Amino acid sequence: MIERTEHDVQARAAIKSIDIDGHSVAFSAGETILEAAQRAGVEIPTLCHDPRLEPAGACRTCLVEVEGQNRMVPACKTPAADGAKILTETERVDRHRKTLLALYLTDHPRDREVAERGAPNELLDMADRYGAPRNWGTMESKRDARDTDRNPYIHFNADTCIACARCTRYCEEVEGVSAITLAGRGAETTIATADSLSLLDTTCEMCGGCVDVCPTGAMGEKMPLTRSAKPERELKKVRSTCNFCGVGCQLDLNVDEEAEGGNGRVVKVTSPPPGTTTNDGNLCVKGRFAYDFIHHEERITSPLVRNENGDLVETSWDNALRVAADGLRGVAERHGANALGFVSSSRCTVEENYLVQKLSRAVFKTNNVHQCAAT
Amino acid sequence: MTNSIGEIRNADFLFVIGSNTSEAHPIIAMEMKRAVRRGGTMVVADPRKIWMTTIAEKHLQLNPGSDVWLLNSIAHVICEEGLADEAFIRDNTEGFEQVRETVARYSPEEAEVHTGIPAEDIRWVARKYATTPKAGIYYTLGITEHSHGTDNVYALANLVLMTGHLGKPSAGMNPLRGQNNVQGANDAGATPVFLPGYQRVDDPEAHAKYEKSWGVEFPSEPGLNLNVMMKEVGKSIKGLFVMGEDIVLSEPNCMELEKGLNNSEFMIVQDAFMNETARFADVIFPASVFAEKEGVFTNSERRVQRVRKAVEPPGQAREDWRILIDLANACGAGWTFESAAAVYDEMVKDADKFSGISHARLDAMVSLPKTGLQWPCPTPDHPGTTFLHEEGVLRGKGLFTAVEYRPPAEVPDEDYGLYLSTGRTLYHYNSATQTRRESGLDEKQSEAWIEIHPRDARRRDIKNHDKVRVSTRRGSVEVRALISRQVQPGCIWMPLHFGEARANVVTNDAGDPVTDTAEYKVCAAEVHRIEEGTAPDGLYPGTFYGLDAPV
Ligand code: SF4
Ligand code: SF4
Ligand code: FES
Repeated sequence: MIERTEHDVQARAAIKSIDIDGHSVAFSAGETILEAAQRAGVEIPTLCHDPRLEPAGACRTCLVEVEGQNRMVPACKTPAADGAKILTETERVDRHRKTLLALYLTDHPRDREVAERGAPNELLDMADRYGAPRNWGTMESKRDARDTDRNPYIHFNADTCIACARCTRYCEEVEGVSAITLAGRGAETTIATADSLSLLDTTCEMCGGCVDVCPTGAMGEKMPLTRSAKPERELKKVRSTCNFCGVGCQLDLNVDEEAEGGNGRVVKVTSPPPGTTTNDGNLCVKGRFAYDFIHHEERITSPLVRNENGDLVETSWDNALRVAADGLRGVAERHGANALGFVSSSRCTVEENYLVQKLSRAVFKTNNVHQCAAT
Repeated sequence: MTNSIGEIRNADFLFVIGSNTSEAHPIIAMEMKRAVRRGGTMVVADPRKIWMTTIAEKHLQLNPGSDVWLLNSIAHVICEEGLADEAFIRDNTEGFEQVRETVARYSPEEAEVHTGIPAEDIRWVARKYATTPKAGIYYTLGITEHSHGTDNVYALANLVLMTGHLGKPSAGMNPLRGQNNVQGANDAGATPVFLPGYQRVDDPEAHAKYEKSWGVEFPSEPGLNLNVMMKEVGKSIKGLFVMGEDIVLSEPNCMELEKGLNNSEFMIVQDAFMNETARFADVIFPASVFAEKEGVFTNSERRVQRVRKAVEPPGQAREDWRILIDLANACGAGWTFESAAAVYDEMVKDADKFSGISHARLDAMVSLPKTGLQWPCPTPDHPGTTFLHEEGVLRGKGLFTAVEYRPPAEVPDEDYGLYLSTGRTLYHYNSATQTRRESGLDEKQSEAWIEIHPRDARRRDIKNHDKVRVSTRRGSVEVRALISRQVQPGCIWMPLHFGEARANVVTNDAGDPVTDTAEYKVCAAEVHRIEEGTAPDGLYPGTFYGLDAPV
């Protein structure tokens, strides 16, 4: 799934087809069983899979049967083969899923309140969907949690980690910095930094990708937690465009609608699923974590005008607009329209920029309008 | 950009020049990292070691301001070794002969003297670039923020044209925009020369169309561009309306601007936060941030995407577009727009490039390849345009422009012995009015610093973390020194985000003759030690910044 542009899709080798639960699905060279199935709308559960990453085949939730083969195969890692018959809903597959999920749950909190400290937990969702038994005993989780990390954004909850390595693989393969790695063995496998340093002192760029890819919320966001924000599923998601650089990442503002006296509060930012937007589900530190400015106490909340003493004082909108209109008109009358300059902003919307230039040209009759494009 | 962001990952050769991509455009950088993982080759040209150089096949660490020497000598090799795409040049371009003659005088051997880059490396890059079909060029302000910024861009364009690396996926010339909506602000006509959709205001036909549409008369002579306007403040400019920008913090040579503001008669500032500029305002309108309004932004790849209102503005603050309508109407304009969507509809009515786009159409699209629309998109059923210059070169033939090297407006001398460059960091954004209000980001980078090479530091008796004064002919600021081999000997570098150490107090406002973009990237400076310092809390510019610094 590395290619994305249409050109490359077309350039792929000749179309072949595979049979999945009786649906015949066309696929092209290099595609996996999982990709073909997803296109056909056949659901195969996955935990360690992410289309941005090389398949790891680590979690085994995606095992399916191939007719004529004894062993089940991981759909996320197995290339589709021409004419193969794939079965995803057999009794054997079902038994495998139940067993596997039940085992995962032995050292995983089963209570949503505890397990979902902020983000939805795909493991619990899956256990519900496939009816996995939840009473197979409890093992103490022995993973090291690096609780002392003083970085401001990311916390690691070892109890809910399933060692799927999505986070570490993302950090290496997509962000390219390998700030976190899998460490330890067996039940002690955990997500570590070199010498257990705080992420602040590592190569970490605070992209938050590890948080985004984690299926269980083990890699989680600190700020909503310390602020006891509502869980993510109770928040309203509003799709918007990041306001920092020119890439135009798509992001979802997660809003607590009741907060701020009903004005609503952005309590976290998440990214749309990979493959659906230009940023492919990725964000940088600013897009993902810099949202506190929205509700900052230093926001200007009232129009201000300068009084006789030269101080800026609060006033009504009507008065501010009147003073503003008189001020601009006064300059134009005394010195001509070209004594006015309008500075628009590449931070504002297209519509707002249109209105500023129209204000300048159509209302005040000057072409002295520009924005800080260079900075 | 002539390409789309999604094409970057398939590029086989990436020439990154004057762009600290992983810090200024982290998401573009991720796509580049992916291309390199896939087996693509990256070359980075930058006076400073940046993260991208760690995955680059070659780092061309050129002397500041010597870009034209480098680019012309690459062109020299392409011509000399017969690597130019003669058929493409014949069919699609004009003016090649002039360039061929000019670059003949820029041999790699001589370029080595001026740029500090080995001639063999220049040859290698030229061959690799010319012979790789999917070869893209990526650049940002490191190219344009020079007194010869336009020359740099022409020199790059010459390379693209002579190799025919245009109008194909993953090949082309890609300026990466610094701010979220630079593209959109220009598209909308917030420029002294262009009406919406790049229609010249002095083009009689376009001008007449808008006079008719708006039902008013207005002048057809282009107005003043920003750099000139700022220099005229207090002189010919007596009244200013400033929306969403901290001009005092972001204009080069702000001391002069402050004097001008004191001499002007009236200023309105419309912003969500108080800033340096607002201190001079007569009226301040409390405005909104992106999460509080409807509208669109247009990204670097010309993709028009929706901004949606998620929360209400605080107190009496209003959406900027509403304030603008209120202000126009207070001046008797009688505007009747009831929504941002209606404003957009009016804009596209007379600008064909966008006329197939509307809020409604954008809202109906949810996922790729349909998130947003890339203009040109002239009709409601037009799918948008992925890469420009698909059918030959847009606007007739591609024009070569021969350029000659000109030294930077200011070079080091006895009094100011170092080159100073300024730049951006990952954790802050421009004047940082937003990012410095983020406790987390501020924890990572809480104060300004300069990077200085161990050799230059030793000569000035400066130790790591000492407080130093950076001075130029225009002023001085006090910052913390980080000793780093990221910069070359003879060069210092400073981030521009910090109000208490305003980089633009010291930078040069000498403008490019064509665009008047100021020379933020190079000027002459000197550094003096003020006092000993200890490692501060909250200065973790990233492990990369202290690169090789002696402990
Ligand atoms: S935030 Fe990004 S860079 Fe840091 S550990 Fe997570 S994935 Fe790696
Ligand atoms: S933290 Fe999350 S993503 Fe990382 S290994 Fe554990 S469960 Fe997987
Ligand atoms: S999703 Fe296939 S093995 Fe994890």
